[in-house]
Amino acid sequence: MPKKISWLAGGILMALLILFAFSIVGADRPIGASTYVPYFAALLFDLDPQKYEYAAEIERAGAWEGVMLLGAFFGALFMSLFVTKTFRFSILPSLWKERKNSSAISRLLWSFIAGFVMIVGARLAGGCTSGHFLSGASQIAVSGLIFGGVTMATLIITGRLFYNRKGD
Amino acid sequence: MPERIYHMFETAAGEGHGSLATILFIGFLFGAIIQWARVDKFEKIAGFAMLEDMTVPKMLFFAIGLASIGLYFMIEAGYAHYHIKPVMLGGLVTGAILFGIAMAIFGKCPGTGPVSIAEGRIDVLVGAIGGIFGGLFFTVAYPWIKPLMGPDYGKITLANTFEGYESLIVLVYGILLVAVAFMLPDKEYLDPEDNEKKASV
Repeated sequence: MPKKISWLAGGILMALLILFAFSIVGADRPIGASTYVPYFAALLFDLDPQKYEYAAEIERAGAWEGVMLLGAFFGALFMSLFVTKTFRFSILPSLWKERKNSSAISRLLWSFIAGFVMIVGARLAGGCTSGHFLSGASQIAVSGLIFGGVTMATLIITGRLFYNRKGD
Repeated sequence: MPERIYHMFETAAGEGHGSLATILFIGFLFGAIIQWARVDKFEKIAGFAMLEDMTVPKMLFFAIGLASIGLYFMIEAGYAHYHIKPVMLGGLVTGAILFGIAMAIFGKCPGTGPVSIAEGRIDVLVGAIGGIFGGLFFTVAYPWIKPLMGPDYGKITLANTFEGYESLIVLVYGILLVAVAFMLPDKEYLDPEDNEKKASV
């Protein structure tokens, strides 16, 4: 098996998976991957869905995604151990070292902050790359197209402002 | 907590959206495809923000273009249904701005996070803990946040705003996205620490 597949092969496989998830023989449902995070938060902090409106709203979707992402974890673990052989413990990504800094503390702190902001953003928007982009834009949903456009614009602006210029 | 984890499996199985095995299977493939194409990497996602690596937009546009055409015909044939999210404009735009900023800094999104944790990335585990606190904050603050998320323009798609031309719109849209995927420069940042090479398939 090849150790890595191209964007083209990956895109074909991902499209087939989206179609399988949507199909009535699959899950009759789009793939989503951000509702599970507040669902896990409610689980870990033992928030009672009867007291917290949002925990009640996401009970069903959150559970489905929680199970799906558990599968995703093991799928990725399997591939990283046996196929791509890329499993290794690390803190600092190569490109972060090249374009930001070599401080583990800085990377961990920024990761924590960005992780926090990311989930607040995804839940405000009602979806993420999977729900709005992969699944939403595949249905040509206007919500998915707005999300995709705004996210890509702020992603590239932030990339420009947050990191050092190449060669600096 | 064990009973709540049990409750999660019970709820997911009883939702009418696939058996537990189906859901786990979808998840397994989702994680496997992302890991195989290496699009969970910081270098691929933050690399796109820095315009150093175009793998993510190429794969995304191609997958969406292909899936949009396939999905349209599947729905027409009765093998699938639409599941459209509403346009809650305030929440959608504010959320997307925050999401884009966070994605550029974190170099992950909520779906690729667990994939990167599975390949041993400690920074992503810490980011995921941040995410759990973000989810906690959102859940607790929801009564105050909810009124700010509108106005609700409903569940609209580009196709159903041009009635009678649905199949044409879907075809043009799908082909356009596939074309964009091919036209974006084939630029890739090959990670020296992963001994990364260009994929041959």
